[in-house]
Amino acid sequence: MNGFPILTLLTFIPVLGMVLVLLMPKDKEREIKITTLIATGIQVVLSAVLLMSYDYNAGGIFEESSFQFIEKFRWIEITGLSWLGTVKIDYFLGVDGLSTPMVLLTSIVAFIATLSSWNISKSLKGYFALFLLLDTGMMGVFVSLDFFLFYVFWELMLLPMYFLIGIWGGTRKEYAAIKFFIYTLFGSVFMLLVMIGLYFSTQETLADGSAVFTFNMLSMMDPANYTADGILSPFNPGNLRFIAYIALFVGFAIKIPMFPFHTWLPDAHVEAPTPISVILAGVLLKMGTYGILRISYPMFPEITKDLMWYIALFGMINIIYGALCAMAQKDFKKLIAYSSISHMGYVLLGMASLSTTGINGAIFQMFNHGTITSMLFLIVGVIYDRTHTRGLDDFGGLANQMPVYTGFVTVAFFAAIGLPGMSGWVSEALVFVGSIGEEITRILAMISTLGILLGAGYMLWALQRIFLGNLKEKWSDLTDLDGREYAMLVPLAVIIIFLGIYPSFMLDIMNTSVNTLVEFVSVNVSKFTLSGL
Amino acid sequence: MEVGLSHFLVVSTALLSLGIYGVITRKNAVMVLMGIELILNAANINFVAFSKYGNFGLEGQVMALFIIVLAAAEAAIALAIVLNIYKTFNHVNVDEIEDLKE
Amino acid sequence: MEMNSLYDSLSLIAPELIISVTLLVIVLFDLIFKNNKKMLPFLSTVGLAVALITQAGNLTDGGFAFSPENTPLFYGMLTIDSFGAFFKILVLAASMLIIYFSSTTDEVNESFDRLGEYYTLIFGMVLGMMFMISASDLILIYLSVELLSLSSYVLAGFSKNKTRNNEAALKYLLFGAFSSGLMLFGISLIYGMVGSTNLTALNNFLQTGSINLFTITISLILVFAGIGYKISSAPFHFWTPDVYEGAPISITAFLSVASKAAGFALLIRFIRVGFVSYVDSEGFWKLSEVFDWQLLLVIIAILTMTLGNFSALWQDNLKRMLAYSSIAHAGYMLLGLAVMSDQGVLAVLVYFFIYAIMNIGAFFIVMLIANRIGSENIDDYDGLGFKAPLLGVSLGIFLVSLTGIPPTAGFIGKLYLFIALVDANMIAVAVIALLNTVVSLYYYIRVLKHMYLVKPSTEPPVIKPSFNNLIFVLILAVPTIIFGIYFTPILDFAKQCVQFFGV
Repeated sequence: MNGFPILTLLTFIPVLGMVLVLLMPKDKEREIKITTLIATGIQVVLSAVLLMSYDYNAGGIFEESSFQFIEKFRWIEITGLSWLGTVKIDYFLGVDGLSTPMVLLTSIVAFIATLSSWNISKSLKGYFALFLLLDTGMMGVFVSLDFFLFYVFWELMLLPMYFLIGIWGGTRKEYAAIKFFIYTLFGSVFMLLVMIGLYFSTQETLADGSAVFTFNMLSMMDPANYTADGILSPFNPGNLRFIAYIALFVGFAIKIPMFPFHTWLPDAHVEAPTPISVILAGVLLKMGTYGILRISYPMFPEITKDLMWYIALFGMINIIYGALCAMAQKDFKKLIAYSSISHMGYVLLGMASLSTTGINGAIFQMFNHGTITSMLFLIVGVIYDRTHTRGLDDFGGLANQMPVYTGFVTVAFFAAIGLPGMSGWVSEALVFVGSIGEEITRILAMISTLGILLGAGYMLWALQRIFLGNLKEKWSDLTDLDGREYAMLVPLAVIIIFLGIYPSFMLDIMNTSVNTLVEFVSVNVSKFTLSGL
Repeated sequence: MEVGLSHFLVVSTALLSLGIYGVITRKNAVMVLMGIELILNAANINFVAFSKYGNFGLEGQVMALFIIVLAAAEAAIALAIVLNIYKTFNHVNVDEIEDLKE
Repeated sequence: MEMNSLYDSLSLIAPELIISVTLLVIVLFDLIFKNNKKMLPFLSTVGLAVALITQAGNLTDGGFAFSPENTPLFYGMLTIDSFGAFFKILVLAASMLIIYFSSTTDEVNESFDRLGEYYTLIFGMVLGMMFMISASDLILIYLSVELLSLSSYVLAGFSKNKTRNNEAALKYLLFGAFSSGLMLFGISLIYGMVGSTNLTALNNFLQTGSINLFTITISLILVFAGIGYKISSAPFHFWTPDVYEGAPISITAFLSVASKAAGFALLIRFIRVGFVSYVDSEGFWKLSEVFDWQLLLVIIAILTMTLGNFSALWQDNLKRMLAYSSIAHAGYMLLGLAVMSDQGVLAVLVYFFIYAIMNIGAFFIVMLIANRIGSENIDDYDGLGFKAPLLGVSLGIFLVSLTGIPPTAGFIGKLYLFIALVDANMIAVAVIALLNTVVSLYYYIRVLKHMYLVKPSTEPPVIKPSFNNLIFVLILAVPTIIFGIYFTPILDFAKQCVQFFGV
């Protein structure tokens, strides 16, 4: 695979697709859709290729040599600034066990969301152009290893998302879109500040021996690279690392979304069109937790260690609070949205344990939540397309009317509940094993198990309200799934069941890296606490 | 009593204060402009006085000449604009010229 | 003055001379060919282009021009250096854009028989700005500010029969004359203390002479009133919204970019030459301790950006909204200067370069739409985005860039600003500025909301801009994206220009 820029292609194929879409005349609707489908399809193929030549024994995390498919070029270089030295920014891509599952998830979800966009009719060209731009942003976040590049991709998604919710959304779309935008921008401006702070605190040694400030994430993880007086340097007694950690964490937490920053999510989900909900829940939420694992953990190990309990606490709150809210919902889509909050809580809990099992579980849960929730939102979309309502109490007895549909719903619901044999079960189990195994998070984790019970409660209750009981007269002519809907749901169902039976397929990808991460954090805690000496 | 630098400065400060007072309190645009002229002349007195008593050479006097010329130019433009205002509003009351508002 | 030194001085100000000559040519041309107004923009562009090329060829030249007789070597009325060259190039380039801008503005072209005056006065402004940028003597500072102001008062009220034009001119005039009067009084006090009007002399005086703190504080605040008015910083910004809304839109764009650039150049040079004792190896300026410029500027910058951003939230008129937004941007740039380091100045230069592109672009599109629908009101923009796709997308790019979101150039401006702030450990200030950015998102995105999200009550008109106008839009929109992704050229350019001659 040497020399083949697979990650660049993965990231920028959608942009190419976008340009093609923009060049097409407005009325070539079919061609526009197919172009998008091909672009996202190529992504799926590329990520399959990536997986085939993936080295399962390479750890990544902090070591450039054990990252895979690396592409590194000098992007910006400005010399001759006497007081700043050289300014350089790299175009630096690479994947390890943390990002590979996310890359797979992104390409699968994007492809399926394209299929689910088939019946978009309003300003189709704009929709698919923005959709593809969004796709690039998502993929870019997961593959970039330069903080600056990461930030650019991170922000790149905001605008397409704003328009996708705002133009193609439901009745309160304007409110939901601006809320999403303001929340996320609020979080990311703090990330920007931390990024600049880290930039001024770390120096990378170039080939010619000169030390320059750097945005390279890997350099920011090595305590040896920190300058003596940088404001985020552990060697500076007056450093602001704690504040920076909180600021960064809030930036990521908004995206997860972690209680109390979650209020944008139900609004955004309810108003967004189905495919965008799928993308939002399937991929965007993972960027928050991914960011914490990729950036907060290795760059601030000592503070992470100190704050384990608090992260777990918020995880627990998310799990319970999300589940309780979900239980109170009358709107099918809102229920799924709140269940997302609950499920992302498991990710936080697993991460907080700082154990291999827990973090493995967390990443696996990120992937599983991506597939399961995508499926759930597609399911809502299917019924909404037919009936134009999402009220849970508007239905009943659909099981006989739409048996196949009911079958898929059951798979998704059971997976969401965490029934053994489904992927969700494995990851939740790992999360709990990991977090109960660590003394510090044990009690919180035990309380969190309540979430499983609550989850089963609201899911089964919803299932009962929609599918059991008597069929209402007005729904008697509902049709079952059509071919396109099969194409969307079958792959997800297969993945969910396959990973439930054979979880090692995914766990093997991440295991080495997670081990590396856990070890790296525990080893570096002391190196980063020199300031106290 | 010999007239010294401080006498000139007192006069110029008084003129400045009168000018600022005029600009702030007057509603008639022409009167506001006269206040501004007072401020310019206060500065003028300063320049000439400093130049004479400080033995700084002729720089201050030259500056004063420049200011006189500029003040004349400014007055010409200002009056033209005020005239235009009068044509459109039929008055030159600064407080009532407020079509542009938030 | 010896002939030789006069000749040297003249050769240093070649671009200014070219502008003066063009001004005269325009006056004469307009007198002789009364009915051939079509040639005026063309003539102006040629004059500006020649000046621009001359200036660009002279990027690194340094020298003092017009040194008075019997003065030490380092005293000159004008300082020619690369810092000035940066702003002159910016002003000249912006002026060229504005000339084209003006030639397509209905508001301007309605007064057909007075077009000659229009272009003459534009050149009056340009000349004023060019001298403002290089002026290193308080006399010349005052004179050039007045030259700029007098021309712009008239231009603000150019359409004589429009009420709002007249009102804008009057307000501009009253505020402007008042604040420049105060500045003049401040200058007279400085002259009284220093014995000279030269900035280098002021610097020497502050380091050695006996200083009356009270007098110097009063006089500097008075001087700052004059400059603050030009860059529309709080609390001297009250004229800005009214004048920007009332003036012809091409003049508004010109004031918001070029005039502000000249004001900033003046302020930076004033502080850099007049107050900095030395620059340390990290690029930080050590100022004479008589006056805490940093504190003043930080407070004013925060006030300016916060007032600008929060007032912009409630504006329904797009011109007025952009006026407040330009106040806010002045605040960001003041913050760059408040860092008091070479790096801060670099940030200001980068920011200004980008700000000029995106701001002219935004005003241009507002003008094109106003030409068609006769309104700048945000409610009349409902659904326009779908009827004028290219204009809508470009306006979107400019507004997103003004917000400062990657991958647009505006982000780079903000990035370097924050880099400078963090480097100087001004974290709290940076946080306030960042929160301001979030606030600003709301009103910028509001325009896009009306263009794309809101369902129009009546069918919006189709807007088909002419080919030339489209090219003009692209000339501004494409760099806004390109510089957001690859910004080495801007930085390379700005980096060369953080050099002041003679200090």
